[in-house]
Amino acid sequence: MKGTYLGEFEELVLLAVGILFDDAYGLSVVDQLEKQTRRPIMISSVHKALVRLEDKGFLKSKMGGATQTRGGRDKRLYTLTHAGVGALRQSRELRNDMWRQVPGIVLDGSV
Amino acid sequence: MNKPQPPLWATRLFRSFCNDHLSDAVLGDLVELYERRVSELGKTKADVLFVWNVIQFVQPFALRKKKSSPQNHYAMFRNYFKIAFRSMSRQKMYTGIKIGGFAIGLATCMIIALFIRHELSYDKYYANGPRTYRLYNHYEGPDGGKWTSFPAPLVGILRNEFPEIEKAGRLIPYKWFNAGSNLMRPEDQTENTYEEGFAYADPELLDILEIPMLYGNRDHALDKPNTIVFSRKMADKYFPGQDPVGKTIIFNDDTKRPYMIGGVMENFPPTSHLQYEFLITLTGEEFWKDEQGSWCCWNYNPYIRLRADADPVAFEQKLQSIIKNHYGPFLKEGGSASLEDVLKHHKIRTQAIGDIYLDSDGINDIIPHGDKQYILLFGGIAGFILLLACVNFINLSTAKSANRAKEVGLRKVVGSVRGNLVRQFLTESVLYSLISFILAVAIVWVTLPYFSTFAGKTLAMPWGAWWMFPILIGAALGIGIVAGLYPSFYLSAFKPIDVLKGAVARGSRNSTLRSAMVVFQFTTSIVLIIGTFVIYRQMNFILHTKIGFDKDQVIMIQGANTLGDHRETFKEELLRQSAVASVTSSNYLPVSETNRDQNGFFKEGRSKQDRSIGAQRWYVDTDYIKTLGMKIVEGRDFIPRLASDSSSIIVNQAMVKAMGLKEPVVGQRIENWRVYTIIGVVEDFHFETMKEKIAPLTLVVGNGGSIVAVKVKPGDMRQTIANIQLIWNKIMPNQPFRYTFIDESYARMYQDVERTGNLFAGFSMLAILVACLGLFALSSFMAEQRKKEVSIRLVLGATIGNIFRLLTRSFVIMVLVSFVIASPLGWYMMTRWLEGYSYKTEITWDVFVVAGSAAVVIALLTVSYQAVKVALGNPAANLRSE
Repeated sequence: MKGTYLGEFEELVLLAVGILFDDAYGLSVVDQLEKQTRRPIMISSVHKALVRLEDKGFLKSKMGGATQTRGGRDKRLYTLTHAGVGALRQSRELRNDMWRQVPGIVLDGSV
Repeated sequence: MNKPQPPLWATRLFRSFCNDHLSDAVLGDLVELYERRVSELGKTKADVLFVWNVIQFVQPFALRKKKSSPQNHYAMFRNYFKIAFRSMSRQKMYTGIKIGGFAIGLATCMIIALFIRHELSYDKYYANGPRTYRLYNHYEGPDGGKWTSFPAPLVGILRNEFPEIEKAGRLIPYKWFNAGSNLMRPEDQTENTYEEGFAYADPELLDILEIPMLYGNRDHALDKPNTIVFSRKMADKYFPGQDPVGKTIIFNDDTKRPYMIGGVMENFPPTSHLQYEFLITLTGEEFWKDEQGSWCCWNYNPYIRLRADADPVAFEQKLQSIIKNHYGPFLKEGGSASLEDVLKHHKIRTQAIGDIYLDSDGINDIIPHGDKQYILLFGGIAGFILLLACVNFINLSTAKSANRAKEVGLRKVVGSVRGNLVRQFLTESVLYSLISFILAVAIVWVTLPYFSTFAGKTLAMPWGAWWMFPILIGAALGIGIVAGLYPSFYLSAFKPIDVLKGAVARGSRNSTLRSAMVVFQFTTSIVLIIGTFVIYRQMNFILHTKIGFDKDQVIMIQGANTLGDHRETFKEELLRQSAVASVTSSNYLPVSETNRDQNGFFKEGRSKQDRSIGAQRWYVDTDYIKTLGMKIVEGRDFIPRLASDSSSIIVNQAMVKAMGLKEPVVGQRIENWRVYTIIGVVEDFHFETMKEKIAPLTLVVGNGGSIVAVKVKPGDMRQTIANIQLIWNKIMPNQPFRYTFIDESYARMYQDVERTGNLFAGFSMLAILVACLGLFALSSFMAEQRKKEVSIRLVLGATIGNIFRLLTRSFVIMVLVSFVIASPLGWYMMTRWLEGYSYKTEITWDVFVVAGSAAVVIALLTVSYQAVKVALGNPAANLRSE
């Protein structure tokens, strides 16, 4: 199995999938990320991240939810797995942990 | 519903590379995005962005994974090779012809490529090549010309007035004083040896030509008067294993003027336009009084190296000032009428040293040149022969397709797709090509030495060059694939159901294309045959046409300048021989490698008004015309010991015409430095090659000369020569006796024609051979196909003659068609070639008849072997299985 290390962009994608809950597919993730980060996101990199996260076992997917606007094609809908939620949680804890270790003076006194 | 759609091709493209896991989902996303963009940005922009998106997905994660594993590939290729070897060994003759024909074509191509590379590599090795030039004159206008010799003082002017010039040096490349050939010996020996390859050179020339020195210093080797530089070859010959610098050399027994060796230079590379063994210094040289300061005589070829920052174009422009400031005043002083004309038309030009060998069209020098046209021609021939070989390959592969049809059908039935089959046949064809290449390299390796002597070049396989093997392998793969493309697509297109039912008419389809290819092959061959014929004809014409003098039975004894006071004795002794008809001595003979000059002539007293007429002035003795069998058409020959003949002159017909002399010519007076009275007109004779028109020429009486020409009566030539040698050795015990026959020297002038003829003959033979190999294989295949038909015809009473006609007719028709196409082509080509000659043979109809019938006969012979074999076969054996 590939390493379970979570990159920054992958983490954002995971979170976006979480936010979108039952309508998380390529384009909606792109929209969500653009809205949240306010920077242009390449659709191919989102799909790439989605494929990789599924490989790592953080996401699972199924086809469904076709609409007229996409030429009647199914979407690949993604949902978080247990492992995915775990990875997110672990990542947040790591951050919190490190935040706590930064002395208050550094945070307040920074210019 | 009419919604805007993204470009269909982009969608297709996406589908073609994207894997199934993502294909639909991503495409859906992209279309959704696209529709959004259409309403926001308009269709065009959306289209562009869509395509851009598609391209972004060309990444490993989205690509379709190869289904088969590498091991499987390997097994498949192993199978391809196995099948290829099996089908090769099953049909040894076809395989042999296919590979052999291909290898011959390839070998020819390689040799020609090496030859062309050699021709193109002349003078490309100088470190400062791009700024090394030679100068030449260009006299513009209808009767102008280009030539490379300049007056002696030019080099000083170049050095003083042109700061752009880094170095300038002169060369005297032709037979003149001690340049050309000499008898020579080291001072401490008595025996003379005859050597060729002498030239006069300024000390700077060693540096300009970047000649490496083995002994001595390049800057000082020639800077003292009477010094000489030896080539490595000559130093090894005369002073093996020692440093010869400082040793003294005697030329032509002239002990009053010894030369000192100033250095030893590396041999000139074979790809230099200059080839000399000895360079004699021009330092302190003054061939006659005031020669070095005078603009009278143009004998020096200047070479220059420009400074790195000089602008060559501006420099050439600036050179014209020399004509105005130096040559003009000289002409004015002499009161020449041509002054204005010269100022207007006479230009000095530069030519890059790398261009001299191939790009000297119309520039008159005596240096051997390559011919761009021949390079193009040979390149073309090489291409054609390669094409012929490829055609053979394609033809044979498709013709034999029936044998492979079942295999193709079966492979398809068990699941092979067309792509696999194409790959299989391409593999096979590349395999053939590789084997052919290996064979071809072996052929080249073996034949290259012969070809080198044949072409008069030193060619070698560039084994050591880094590009050699990559190019060979690349070419083998490339040609293998190109030649295999058609057969592989043709073969892989068979429908399994037809093939397995036996419905494929055994390869006889598509015979139009095959016929076209045979026609192409024979057209090329016939054109080459016609070319060969015409070249040999021209050669024959040159050797046997009336040339205005009698070149047979004349012996030229070289080195007679050393006879000195014994010249008359020698001549008298010779005439005492019963076999000797007459004897003459001169420097000038109507074959190459003897002296030439150029003098300006005027009608008496008109040197100020008229333009001079350039003509040869040959010093001959009174027996010259008699010995060489020339014909006096008007007036008389010189009379021995007639004092007044010292101011007499005999002119040729071309001279009469050029000067516009009116009848009667005899008795009129012409002048150059002095006035001569014309006493006779000699019939025009060729003294240059037949490419040149016969030029004006005059003969005046003079003694001396380095060649004694002896006309001998028919008889025992060997004995006569032995007798002459005895006389020579008696008078000149220390001089080698050297002689040539004038007819041989004459033939040598046309060596290049002969060479071209031989090359053409070789090429046409190869082309015919390749074409015949193909034809042979094709005919045997046809015979095989029609075996049953023939058998039935035989049973029903057809004669062998009928069968023979039946099987050969189509081939003969093809060759006839080729002949019809080839004749005008060949005629056009050879007419163009003959345009290079002022005196030429005519292309008559029999050339075509011979070439055509030769092709038909060769084709018929090739085909008939199979036809006869089938016709004589036992019908019962062929029909038994039905």
